[in-house]
Amino acid sequence: MIKKFIHQFASPKTYLKQVDRAYPYIFFTSLSIYLIAIFWGLFLTPEDFVQGHSYRIIYLHVPASFISQSLYLGMAFASAIFLIWKVKLSAYLVRSIAPIGAMTTFIALVSGSIWGIPTWGTWWAWDARIISTLILFIMYLGLISLHDSFTNNEKADKFLAILVLVGSVNIPIIKMSVEWWSTLHQSASITITQKPAIDPSMLYPLFASAIGFTGLVVCLVILSSKFHILDRERNKSWVKDYV
Amino acid sequence: MFNFAFSSMSEAILMESQNGQNHGIYVWSVFLIVFGALILTFIIYKNKIRNLSKKIK
Repeated sequence: MIKKFIHQFASPKTYLKQVDRAYPYIFFTSLSIYLIAIFWGLFLTPEDFVQGHSYRIIYLHVPASFISQSLYLGMAFASAIFLIWKVKLSAYLVRSIAPIGAMTTFIALVSGSIWGIPTWGTWWAWDARIISTLILFIMYLGLISLHDSFTNNEKADKFLAILVLVGSVNIPIIKMSVEWWSTLHQSASITITQKPAIDPSMLYPLFASAIGFTGLVVCLVILSSKFHILDRERNKSWVKDYV
Repeated sequence: MFNFAFSSMSEAILMESQNGQNHGIYVWSVFLIVFGALILTFIIYKNKIRNLSKKIK
């Protein structure tokens, strides 16, 4: 029964209809929230006592870093659904999320490196958090290359799903790297169990920028998945009606 | 909470911190990279979808 429900709900045609309807609302709401949050963070929050104004990079770096890991977890979830229930849409989503994940991980790495210059005195350190994030970036690129190197798409989807699940071991390593090893990268300032170590005047715009950036990334995933679905299903009659 | 942290536009661009260093170059570089990457990715996918739709038609 669950299988039947998933197959009905997750048909590529139904998915495209739903996301086309939701896209403009998600896009304009997220863009507004993100622009307000960035303005708030860059111009209205007070200067940090220790880091000076360089801490304002937090409003650009942290959302990208958070999303780069969340997207991988999303890929792992979709991979599991594909391997268990053979849902085609899940396989398409795994391939669609990978380039967006690579882009957000790239932003996280570059923004972190630039932030490192005024705060650490170096743009790069062989630090556990930075290395595990670099591995995540290489994994995203590797997964894209692997999928595109196959001529048989069904085989490629299966291999990709298995590799994504194997690679998901890196996500808890990234998360816990600052706790398990002595790292130059600071430990988490916001946790579920403890009171945030950031002043509310700096914390609220951070939450807002994370929400706005997440929404924009969701829009990118929608566009990427739309492209991959149309490409893979191009011989189906419904695609000709759709375009 | 909603007071401007800078008294002029040039101060906001330079972002001179209490230790005398100008942090604007770092903050604005990251700003350009993030917004550049987002805009570029949106444009790339919009174009990809448009070109593919033309081919399918």
